[in-house]
Amino acid sequence: MEIDRPDGRSPNQLRPLACSHSVLHRAHGSATWAQGETKVLAAVYGPKAGTKKNENPEKASIEVIWKPNTGHVGQADREYEMILKKTLESICIRTIYPNTTTSVIVQVVHDDGALLPCAINAACAALVDAGIPLRHLAVAICCSVTDNNSIILDPSKKEEEKSKAFAYLVFPNTTVSVVPEKSSQVGNDPMAHGIITSVTHGAMSVDDYLHCLERGRATTQRLSEFLRKNIAPKSTREASKAG
Amino acid sequence: MEQRYANCWRLTVNEKKFIESSLLSELRVDGRGSLEYRKLSIKFGKDNGSAEVQLGETRVMSFVSAELVQPYKDRPNEGTLSIFTEFSPMADPSFEPGRPGESAVELGRIIDRGLRESRAIDTESLCVLSAKLVWAIRIDIHILDNAGNLVDAANIAALASLSTFRRSECSLGGEDGQQVVVHPPEVREPLPLIIHHLPVAVTFGFFSNENLVVLDPTYHEEAVMTGSMTVTLNANGDVCAIQKPGRQGIFQRVIMHCLKLAHVKAADITTKIIDAVEKHNIQREVQKVKRHSNCFTD
Repeated sequence: MEIDRPDGRSPNQLRPLACSHSVLHRAHGSATWAQGETKVLAAVYGPKAGTKKNENPEKASIEVIWKPNTGHVGQADREYEMILKKTLESICIRTIYPNTTTSVIVQVVHDDGALLPCAINAACAALVDAGIPLRHLAVAICCSVTDNNSIILDPSKKEEEKSKAFAYLVFPNTTVSVVPEKSSQVGNDPMAHGIITSVTHGAMSVDDYLHCLERGRATTQRLSEFLRKNIAPKSTREASKAG
Repeated sequence: MEQRYANCWRLTVNEKKFIESSLLSELRVDGRGSLEYRKLSIKFGKDNGSAEVQLGETRVMSFVSAELVQPYKDRPNEGTLSIFTEFSPMADPSFEPGRPGESAVELGRIIDRGLRESRAIDTESLCVLSAKLVWAIRIDIHILDNAGNLVDAANIAALASLSTFRRSECSLGGEDGQQVVVHPPEVREPLPLIIHHLPVAVTFGFFSNENLVVLDPTYHEEAVMTGSMTVTLNANGDVCAIQKPGRQGIFQRVIMHCLKLAHVKAADITTKIIDAVEKHNIQREVQKVKRHSNCFTD
């Protein structure tokens, strides 16, 4: 079934990606991530001494602050903070610096669909820029189910509003040495399987959801290549941030 | 110079003494002259009314939005202008999220006074239906990177975003002429705000030696300086606001000297803002033409 997307993309095609790191001078790590017109700036400070009251002091904790571009912080922003916090907690090695807080601040620059995946990618790049110890990287993607039950990747805001349902999926991005039997290989290196986070909006059938997972999984190869290429330091002369 | 721990952000005594003594020999740590501004770059976002300003390493973003509200009872024919400043924790490890601190409130008030009292934005043209509906313009200023002199950078960002903001056109309709119809931007071209003049803020820093005056202090110079003054004026030389919040006393002749300097700098910055806005408008027109030609070739 041929899908007609307003900007002429094929159903599996992502919008042009752009990423830059070390954009801010005061922050310990920072990165911008843009998917098409959606642009997010993430900054990381840390680790700072001490944890908040409700946090476990035996582990490092992550604090996420989400800043929308206009208006006051609302319920949706608080939900994004919570999802980001849980996702980033699962990729950080929390046992290295116990009783510390790492702050991740996310600023929305422009929202044109797939905002949360863009923010997760930006936050991951910023954490790498700050040198926070991570277990593995994470790549996030948005898949939506259109009215005629076809799956499109990385929808724009208009496509998101028209779709029947959409899902934000976050996959781990690490190579494994032992590959379980019968697992499909994505790209050249055997990659870890599993989903870190899945947030869905709207009702979709189980088959549609599983298709979304497959399509998303297949695209993570491209996204993770892009992420790894961009977070590598530009030259060996670049001094570390802590200096 | 900064430690890894985000809590330890104070300057050491050695660093403070170094900055002070080099200023006595007319040297600034970043090599500028004492009355020189850092490099200013103004960029615009995709939306109308979003601007990002970089003054040296200080980075500020500004967004302008508008909605229809009821006017204040004592001003039924005027629209409203409100400024919200967000000292984002990403700018400085000492900024706490939540309620704005006193420096955030002070910054918001300085920009507010410069725009509102001097009537830089024409609020009467924002009236749609007298005593019932007016446009409320909201400016959100986000500080992204604090490297000193946030007031000047935030002011330039606010002016740049106001200059490129477009509000939807609305017309009166209905049987009694009382119903307001807001036309979406696809139907009718949105209108710019009427801006009479651009009030630019210029900040000076004073030190323990009376003859030392520094323009556009960096973050480290701000920690060392003993007094500051922010003058908001426009290219015509009209002083819109002066903010000198206590601290060290300054001779009158120094203040007059600063005002004259500020006039020259304000004219310079005004031309930079106008040039950047012009370039952006031309680019936007060119983009519109391209889109139409695509329609025809399909």
